[in-house]
Amino acid sequence: MSPEPHEAASGYRTLEVRREGPVGWLVFDRPEAGNAMNATMLQELESAWLELDGDPTVAVIVNTGAGRAFQTGLDMVQLSREPEAMREQSRRTKRAELRLTAWHNGVDKPVIAAVNGVCAGGGLHFVADADVVIASSEATFLDPHVSVGQVTAYEAITLVRKSPMEPVVRMALAGHHERMTAARAHQLGILSEVVTPPGRLRERAQELAETIARNSPAAMAATKRALWGALETGLSEACRAGGRELIGMWGHPDQEEGPLAFAEKRPARWQGSSTDHAAPADGAGTAATGGATGGL
Amino acid sequence: MAFSEYEHLKLVRRGPVGWLLNNRPDRLNAMNADMRDEFAVAWRELDADPEVRVIVHTGEGKAFQTGVDVAEIASDGVGMERYRQSVEDFDLHFTAWHQQVEKPVITAVNGICAGGGLHWVADADVVIAASDAQFMDPHVSVGQVVAIEAIGLLRKMPVEAVMRMALVGRYERMSAQRALELGMISQVVDPPERLRDAAQELAEMIARNSPAAMAATKRALWGALETGLTDACRAGARELVGMWGHPDQEEGPRAFAEKRPPRWQAPGGAGAR
Repeated sequence: MSPEPHEAASGYRTLEVRREGPVGWLVFDRPEAGNAMNATMLQELESAWLELDGDPTVAVIVNTGAGRAFQTGLDMVQLSREPEAMREQSRRTKRAELRLTAWHNGVDKPVIAAVNGVCAGGGLHFVADADVVIASSEATFLDPHVSVGQVTAYEAITLVRKSPMEPVVRMALAGHHERMTAARAHQLGILSEVVTPPGRLRERAQELAETIARNSPAAMAATKRALWGALETGLSEACRAGGRELIGMWGHPDQEEGPLAFAEKRPARWQGSSTDHAAPADGAGTAATGGATGGL
Repeated sequence: MAFSEYEHLKLVRRGPVGWLLNNRPDRLNAMNADMRDEFAVAWRELDADPEVRVIVHTGEGKAFQTGVDVAEIASDGVGMERYRQSVEDFDLHFTAWHQQVEKPVITAVNGICAGGGLHWVADADVVIAASDAQFMDPHVSVGQVVAIEAIGLLRKMPVEAVMRMALVGRYERMSAQRALELGMISQVVDPPERLRDAAQELAEMIARNSPAAMAATKRALWGALETGLTDACRAGARELVGMWGHPDQEEGPRAFAEKRPPRWQAPGGAGAR
């Protein structure tokens, strides 16, 4: 089963944005160009992330690609033929103001990257900046920047923070002469699941997203802030900041509803979506957390 | 030197190894307020005992540790509020890292390790596990935030795996085998019943090394998680140089040449902060 669109794509030319139950899908949709990012896609990405993050019916977002490639970075053809069209992008790159990924756009909701094929160069942004990454057994990873005289920076910097460094530096220096397999990326912890047969990737991504969608949106948003924030500072400072996120949820209705639902063996009715509750609760009130598990 | 009396923990000495056992098996070793207070004392006691060179931490019964005792939280009217001040001030005292333990600490995960139980995986120097051990973090499934224990883990291992565990909540468990692949732990013991023997062997092996050099090494490596790379190397260099002239640095090569075990200077003091 491959998820069918429940709504028509709303005016995107290079992306397909749709809903499937509690899951919002953001699909790169330039299969004829390896899903490379042209100026239009660069603009549409920002709108699409914000649209899905702001949609109260969406709890989890899945990002994948149409056709054989996942994402192959900046559209080199457009870059060489119409440098004007890419000018705004160059400006943003220079100022480190990219708006390509969920992380760039401050998305509160859990984001799963489902890598369906080759992921090259700037495509690695979407692997580095996702919360959870899964891939089809046919997916491959490479970074051709230095093979065409370009520098690798942002995407590899984030990967270096999140996974063993040597393979990331090797990928950056080997350029287009070598590819990493999905199996190796799994061993290294760059991704957590290899889906086989590859045709089952979307189905599996939908399943995983629905599983994650059973958890408290407000707790997940605060968890994301705590964990991504921890990549910014030293350990003790990160723990202190994380402690503030912990306490920020105390007194939130989800903290009574969670254990109650567990005890009553029914799905939890979480309050709203993460975007409705982006601000931490004030912590007043009780924080009773019963439940049949041993602890937390 | 005899250890204090504990209600929810057990302290045992076997040769150069000090054992700290979570001892609430009927509650899957979940931590109530009394157990939390006992941890603070137990770590200090083991760290100060001159006969103890290496500390092993494990659990009695089927679970290793399952975090804060929700039954106590739900029933005593104080709830999570009991932890507010300590979390606000990041003034925690229940792991070896919180208590600035100088000796090597091995966590031996004997079964399920859930939620707050991950604190003792994140904050140990070395982690091994029984082949049937499992890891999970159910916080977000009951409306709680995941923060400190996962922050410790993600400094030490691939981040995606930590993020996935945090966001999937109670609906998925990580096996000991996957934790080994990811470098979250360094050894899987099979059959699981052999875990304590394996931990004792590993601890005795580590106990053959210079206590002072290991204490300084711990400071250098844990300190490196606090800063950027170049700052960490500078601070590390101070630890390196700080050992120059220490008697262990003459004793080590001499013992090696004479083919005998080294007689290290007793721990507790020489390497003290």
